Amino acid sequence: MQRTRSYAFLITLCASLALGYTFVPEPNASYSTIRIAGYVGFYNSAWFGYVTAIMTSIFLALIGFYLVNSGIKKDTETKVGQVVAATPISNFKYLIAKVFSNYMLLLTIIAVLIFMSMILFLLYNDGYSFGFFQFIKPHLFITVPAMFSISVLAVVFEVCFGKYSVLQNLAFFFLFTVLLVSTPQKESYFAFDVLGNKIVMAQIEDEVRDIIKSDERIAFNIGYVIPDKKETKKFEFDGMNFPKSFILSRIAWMLFGIALIGIISLVFHRFDRRERIRIKPSYQPNKKQIGANEIQLSNLPKPKVNYAIFSLFRTEFLLLFRKGKRWLWILNIIGMILLIVFPLTFSHQIVLPLLWFLQVHRLSDITTKETTHNVHYFTFTAFRPMRRLLVSQLAAAITLMLLLSVPLIIRLALTFNFTSVLAVIFGAVLLVVLAATLGILSNGKKLFEVFFFMLTYTNINGISHADYFGGFEHSSFYLILLLVLILSLTCITFLKRTYTLNK
Amino acid sequence: MQLDIQNISKRYSRNKFGLKDFSMQIETGILGLLGPNGAGKSTLLKMIATVTKPTNGIIALNQNNIAKDPNYMRKQLGFLPQDFGVYPNLNAFEFLEYMAAMKGIGGSDLKLRISQLLEGLNLIDAAKKPIGSYSGGMKQRVGIAQALLNNPKIVIFDEPTVGLDPEERVRFRNLISDLANDCIVILSSHIVSDIDTIADQVAIIKDGSLITHGGQEEIINLVKDKVYEVSIPKDELAAFKEKHIIVSTTRLKGELVVRYITENPLENSTNMQANLEDAYLYLTKTN
Repeated sequence: MQRTRSYAFLITLCASLALGYTFVPEPNASYSTIRIAGYVGFYNSAWFGYVTAIMTSIFLALIGFYLVNSGIKKDTETKVGQVVAATPISNFKYLIAKVFSNYMLLLTIIAVLIFMSMILFLLYNDGYSFGFFQFIKPHLFITVPAMFSISVLAVVFEVCFGKYSVLQNLAFFFLFTVLLVSTPQKESYFAFDVLGNKIVMAQIEDEVRDIIKSDERIAFNIGYVIPDKKETKKFEFDGMNFPKSFILSRIAWMLFGIALIGIISLVFHRFDRRERIRIKPSYQPNKKQIGANEIQLSNLPKPKVNYAIFSLFRTEFLLLFRKGKRWLWILNIIGMILLIVFPLTFSHQIVLPLLWFLQVHRLSDITTKETTHNVHYFTFTAFRPMRRLLVSQLAAAITLMLLLSVPLIIRLALTFNFTSVLAVIFGAVLLVVLAATLGILSNGKKLFEVFFFMLTYTNINGISHADYFGGFEHSSFYLILLLVLILSLTCITFLKRTYTLNK
Repeated sequence: MQLDIQNISKRYSRNKFGLKDFSMQIETGILGLLGPNGAGKSTLLKMIATVTKPTNGIIALNQNNIAKDPNYMRKQLGFLPQDFGVYPNLNAFEFLEYMAAMKGIGGSDLKLRISQLLEGLNLIDAAKKPIGSYSGGMKQRVGIAQALLNNPKIVIFDEPTVGLDPEERVRFRNLISDLANDCIVILSSHIVSDIDTIADQVAIIKDGSLITHGGQEEIINLVKDKVYEVSIPKDELAAFKEKHIIVSTTRLKGELVVRYITENPLENSTNMQANLEDAYLYLTKTN
């Protein structure tokens, strides 16, 4: 209930509607989402239902994890955890409640996506009538159980990795990639597919193979594919009957999730974690007698007016630098070394976005950390907070991103590829202002984190339309487009912050 | 220095007001702002500190409307909010330097000023340690230090003594008494003893409205000859409460010694010297 009342949830639902809108493309759209050797299905209930279910199981697994993976962290930050720890509730009950809370949130999003695809069916269908069961069946057997596993994983990762949010992100990214690329070789192996979509993909592939009379593996494109329109052919897909073993495997996965929570509850910290920063006995200030070190405020040196922003910039940079565990900087240094040693194209297309993605926890709250740390009363009453504080926050983050990219920038400059140098610089700036804009608009960091994750995922998969750092070939308008984006987002950031301050 | 608050209101919804048609004039010295929880103290202070704007009315510092020119106030403001946080990864020194930069101050003497403030607030030994490792009282003192950083001319302390031990409370009072000569200091609390030893003027607010504003003696005079003490059996307390305003009770040999406010004292009651707490309770219970 607490989550659904937040502004972030409203934004999530809006984003879900927008995402759902793209799952089954409009008949004349320039892209397709599921395409098998040039074939797409006729727009009937089954095709709508199965495509939406497959896309939801993939994208909501990816996004959903990041949406729900901070329930325990929030309880820690709000100190509710300490209250919970003092109640008789068992670790298992608390954690399973978190799982169900996550699950409810994800189910709500699924409901929104189904609703959206129903509307789209009414608009786009190829003259077929609406079959509710065909439409809903894939969701019941694919997305609904899959999201339970995601809800479990979110809690398990939070308990296992605790404060190490970067490790959480990396571990899930790795696990998700493995889940996505693994292809079951036998029918019985479909039971081991956590996301549950492989069985449908295999069925669709088989049907197309029958049409084209081929026994070879055929191209199964999933995601946002931009095909050659002339080659698109349609086939009739009427859904499939899920084998009993597969249905039982969904239940087994859910039971396994509950068992996993049972195991993990044995090691749950129950909000009794040792703080990273501890005062050693020697740090304790000495109790001095009243009057022993008393000062007269009127005798203190008078401060001088200094409106320069360097001090603000320095501290903002320090805050970014110190965010997270110090040893995580080893990963950054490794990333910078990889930018030097790998082939230039690989460094630019793969290493750079990954290295930048490692900074997600630093960037995601550059403009909302005041509220998170309850320092906003100070910052909002600062002298000219817009011109000085916001500017220094953005400048510090841009500096950090550029410093990380220095090896690549130098390499590109040495090859006289100054367009790419500019693209990297613009990319860093764009990322920072995007983080600021989404943070200020959503008043939180999740929206940017999810968006950045998607952006990185699409970039790693070589989708050039999502390239914001010049890793791929582009037209001469590319840099101008980046610049326009940067300026637009900067305007939104400043206007929204001004509005907030003037309230 | 003169702060004029003219008919300000803060409306949250159609019928919900944080503050309603509130007017007050504040001059140099220490003003103690008293009121029960939810009276509107913090709302008023946030509006004066330019954190939020009034729905109606004007707040003017030296005849400058601070809603229109918030930076005029911010340049000379020291503000300690009731509920504030810190960046745990910064040490006290770094945090105060950051706050100084936000306030637009610097110069070669800034470090010395910060050191002396930390010394005065008994934080110098821990000044280089991350604030995340500080106790609640230490964080509160960092908050007090940041409020005094820019040599403010108007200082707002919202519940400043929360988390401070008795010694630190005394130290705090001694520290800010020095400000009373040429600054406006507004000190909000619902603990009367925080106010009565230090405030030149006292304002009592309840339900978003000003009940009274004046010198301590003036306010105490409102309950003069109305404060009594009497011993009653324990089981009569509930009935007694319904008829009188009870200030305090003390157990004594199976009986209760009750300090109460009334215009019609019981027999055997002893007339007591009124204090600010009596006046505060009388005014908030009868208005």
